[in-house]
Amino acid sequence: MQVINMKKEGQNIRKIATKIWADRYMYLMILPVVIYYILFKYWPMAWLRIAFYDFKILKGIEGSKFVGLENFKTFLNNPDFFQIIWNTLYLNILSIIFVFTAPILFALLLNEISNSKFKRVVQTISYLPHFLSTVVVVSMIATFLSPSIGTLNAILKSLGLETVHFLGNPKYFRPIMIISGIWQGMGWNSIIYLSALSGINTELYESAVIDGAGRFQQVLYVTLPGIANTIVIMLILQIGNLLSVGFEKVYLLQNAQNIKVSEVLSTYVYKMGIVNSNYSLGTAVGLFNAVISLILVLLANKLSRKYSEISLI
Amino acid sequence: MSIKNKKSKGEKIFDIFNIIMMCLLSMAFIYPVLNVFSISLSGSSPILRGEISFFPKQLTFEGYRDIFENKYIWMSYRNTIFVAAIGCAVGLLMTSFAAYPMAFGNFYGKKLFTYMILFTLWFSGGMIPTYLVMRRLKLINSLWVLILLSAAPAYYVIVLRSFFDNMPKSLIESAKLDGANDFVCMFKIVLPIAKPALATLALWFVVSHWNNFMAPLIYLNDREKYTLQVILNDIVLQASGLMYEITDAVQTGDGTMVIPQQVQNAVIVVAMLPMLVIYPFLQKYFVKGVMIGAVKG
Repeated sequence: MQVINMKKEGQNIRKIATKIWADRYMYLMILPVVIYYILFKYWPMAWLRIAFYDFKILKGIEGSKFVGLENFKTFLNNPDFFQIIWNTLYLNILSIIFVFTAPILFALLLNEISNSKFKRVVQTISYLPHFLSTVVVVSMIATFLSPSIGTLNAILKSLGLETVHFLGNPKYFRPIMIISGIWQGMGWNSIIYLSALSGINTELYESAVIDGAGRFQQVLYVTLPGIANTIVIMLILQIGNLLSVGFEKVYLLQNAQNIKVSEVLSTYVYKMGIVNSNYSLGTAVGLFNAVISLILVLLANKLSRKYSEISLI
Repeated sequence: MSIKNKKSKGEKIFDIFNIIMMCLLSMAFIYPVLNVFSISLSGSSPILRGEISFFPKQLTFEGYRDIFENKYIWMSYRNTIFVAAIGCAVGLLMTSFAAYPMAFGNFYGKKLFTYMILFTLWFSGGMIPTYLVMRRLKLINSLWVLILLSAAPAYYVIVLRSFFDNMPKSLIESAKLDGANDFVCMFKIVLPIAKPALATLALWFVVSHWNNFMAPLIYLNDREKYTLQVILNDIVLQASGLMYEITDAVQTGDGTMVIPQQVQNAVIVVAMLPMLVIYPFLQKYFVKGVMIGAVKG
């Protein structure tokens, strides 16, 4: 009995070994990828543990003192903590209300254009801002809003109004972020909705017309339900990003006057970690951010699964 | 799509409104770019009076002369082209190496390999730990850090894999029976068919390297290593003209350097022009990639 078992086991091992040998080129192929991911993605994750140390770069992790949650406490006790969280959240909420909906409206309006050549030209033009770097976009914002040479202030002047130093006034920081965000993303983000729109069965429109529906009613009863799934899925994906605001634009638009409303988690991490070399505090804040984002993503995934089930029924 | 039926008066008004709206929006998309072009080609006095909008006034090429004489801008251009070109080549190779086994492989550990890549979509070490690891790898102040940090982004791998998934498996099975190994199958059979997907990824790599600002800001210290976006930030937004020996920069009373507007805007033009020129021609590839990603993502 035992002999037979051993024999079987031996056969199994040989089978596994043959299979691995047969796949040797696959393993050779993934080898550089695995090494790359370990070095560049997973090694940094292992370094997240310095969030629990008073990390000194010269001493290394082993030589540094373990301080437990001390760094997190420092951050939570920072008088600006709530302000920073709020700034980050608020920008994202505004972004969902305005930046997220703009491409949907744009796609709906574009979809109503019957001249396909005109439609294509508008589409191509609308993608333009997507190909500009953040530095270029912020440079354009600075030029456009400049009190001396900017177009907006020239218009204000011609209306007999006083010129405004937009970038120096904290009151305008969020509107600038949001309006420029709409400008940057409206065309590009409409691609997905336009492709969903082109997938709607034309028979639905025909039967709507037979039922006496006008253009507006067609949009309401055929077009919108047709892309509702896409909208919900895109919205759910946004939830995972509630605590992440792109670093570059905020960093570039930030100045001494608007720092109170413009400091967000990513710029704070940069300042603490890279500029001030307080690696442990920077990592702690980053970890705090990453964990909450991960939880939000998991929640969003759950929501999305639930939603797609409902939509299947 | 549009159903031809008699349009009511309200619908006609809407159509006209819609066309006007689209024209206005198109103008809004183009205007800032046009404005930058015009300022870069204008004389100083109309610029300072705030008169430049759509067209240049007192046409001059002073700004561009300043730039072409400046060695730092040339250097940053060379650096950016290096990073974009090598970054694209390395990126395509690594992304293919990751996506091919996911799509065609059936080996022990495939699931683990897939999850290893997918997990980085949701969680990462973040800015500071990554910085410290790059320090350990002696990559600070090297252009290679920019290339390596985005060599095989998980999202790109997924896009390529879903393209591979749509290919018939029999393609490579018959080649394998003839004794071809996986490398031969990939380079000779799969990648040639995947050209449209590779074109999409190549463009994504080039554009993201060209426009990247955060990584060079964090990892590069020497002026000689700077990429275009860093120089652009310094010259236009920080106005540190002295640092880059801009010929026409003027020192003001409080010691700050003022770089003439046409020079600043000429730098913006030079930095954005290559991407603006390529995108209308390659648009269909970009768009296709967005849709592949959206279906799976």
